[in-house]
Amino acid sequence: MKPRKVKKLDPRGPLGENAARIVQVRLDELRSFIPAALHEDCMVEQHDMRIAAKRLRYILEATEFCFGRSGPAARRRAKDLQGILGELHDCDVMLPRVEHHLAELRSADAGAVRERAGNAGDLDPALAARAPHRTAYRGLEVLAVYVEARRRLLFERFREFWEEQERAGTWDRLDRAAERTLEDARIRREAMERAERAARALADAEGAEREAAARARRAAEELRLARHNAGSNG
Amino acid sequence: MAKAREISDIHQGVPYATAAARVVALRADEVVEHAGGVLDVSEIERLHDMRVATRRLRAALEVFRPCFPRDEFKATLREVKGIADALGERRDRDVTIAALEDFGEVLAAPDRPGIESLVAKLRTEQEEANDGLAGFVDRARLEALRLRVDELVAAAEELGGVPETPSSNGADPVERAG
Repeated sequence: MKPRKVKKLDPRGPLGENAARIVQVRLDELRSFIPAALHEDCMVEQHDMRIAAKRLRYILEATEFCFGRSGPAARRRAKDLQGILGELHDCDVMLPRVEHHLAELRSADAGAVRERAGNAGDLDPALAARAPHRTAYRGLEVLAVYVEARRRLLFERFREFWEEQERAGTWDRLDRAAERTLEDARIRREAMERAERAARALADAEGAEREAAARARRAAEELRLARHNAGSNG
Repeated sequence: MAKAREISDIHQGVPYATAAARVVALRADEVVEHAGGVLDVSEIERLHDMRVATRRLRAALEVFRPCFPRDEFKATLREVKGIADALGERRDRDVTIAALEDFGEVLAAPDRPGIESLVAKLRTEQEEANDGLAGFVDRARLEALRLRVDELVAAAEELGGVPETPSSNGADPVERAG
C-alpha cells in the first residue's frame, strides 16, 4: 500500500509544523480502513491498516515530543495496534502454509502408495495405512485448528482494542495536538509577516522623512541665496 | 530488542532538515553497530536487533524524505529496503520455527511428526534466507551504505542551516502542544 502524499512540507521550516502535517495525513490514512477492517473476513483491509499503523508509529517515534502527552500515548497505541494486526496477519500467512504442507505430504504419500501397489488391479487399503507420512497429518490438522481459532480470538481483541481507543480519544487527542501545532505555526507566521510589513513601513517612513529633510535643507539654502542676492543687488 | 538511542538537541522549532540529518545519522550508526553475528541461526536475537535498527533507519529516511536530494535518497532507500527485506526473510523463518517448536511441545508425542516435518522444511528456507542475507551484511557493503547516508546527512545539514535554539523561537521542547 503506497502512503498518501503529504503536502506543504518545507525542509527549512520548523520540525513541529512539518511533523503535524505528516501526522494528520497518517492518522486519516489509519482511520480510512474503518469500518471495513472491522469485518472479520476483510484480510486485505486489516493488512493495509497494519501498514498504516506502522507509518503513524514511525512518524511519532521521531517527532512525538512535538505533540505533548498525546504524542507518546498515540505512538504506544499505534504500536499495540500494529502488533495485534501483525499477529492476525501471521495467522493469515501460517494457515495456507500448513495447508500447502499437508497437500505436499498427501501428494507424496499418494505417489509412494501407488508405487507400492505395482501392477495390482486395485489398491489395497493396507498400503495406505502404511503411507510414509501417515503420522504427520494429525499434528498438522491440530495446528490448522489452532491457527484458525487463534485468528478468531485475535480479531475480537483487535475490534475491542479499536473501540477502546476511539472511546478513550487516543486518535482525537493526537489530531487536536497536531491541529494546535499548525494553528500556532500559522499565528507565528502571520505575526512575523505583520512584523516584516511594519518594518518595511517604518523604513519607508524614515526614507520619506529623510527626503523631506533634504528638501527642507535645499529650500532653506535657496532662500538664503535669494536673500543674499537681494541684499547685494539693493 | 535494542533500544533506540535518544537524539539530543532536537525540538519542534529545529528546521525539519536539521532534524533529518541528526536522526538519520544516528539510526545509520545503529544499523552498522548491530551487524555482527547476524548469520548465526543459533542466536536469533542478533538478527532481530539489526532488523529493528534497519527498520528505524528506513522509517527515518521515509519520514524526512523531502529533506534529501531525490536521486541519492532513492538509491539509499533501495539499499536499506534490500537489507530490511533480506533480514525479514530470515526473521520470518526464525520466529515461525520457534513458534512451531513451542507448539510441538504441547502436543502428545504421536502428534509431533507433522510439526517436525514443517520445521525441517522451514530450516531449509532459513538457510536459503541466510545465504541471501550474507551479501547484504557484508562489511564493505555496509560501509558503502554508511558513506551514502553521510552524503544525505551533509545535504540535509546544509539545507537546514544554523538551527534556532528553543528559547529563540519561543518553542518549549516537550510539553508545549499539551
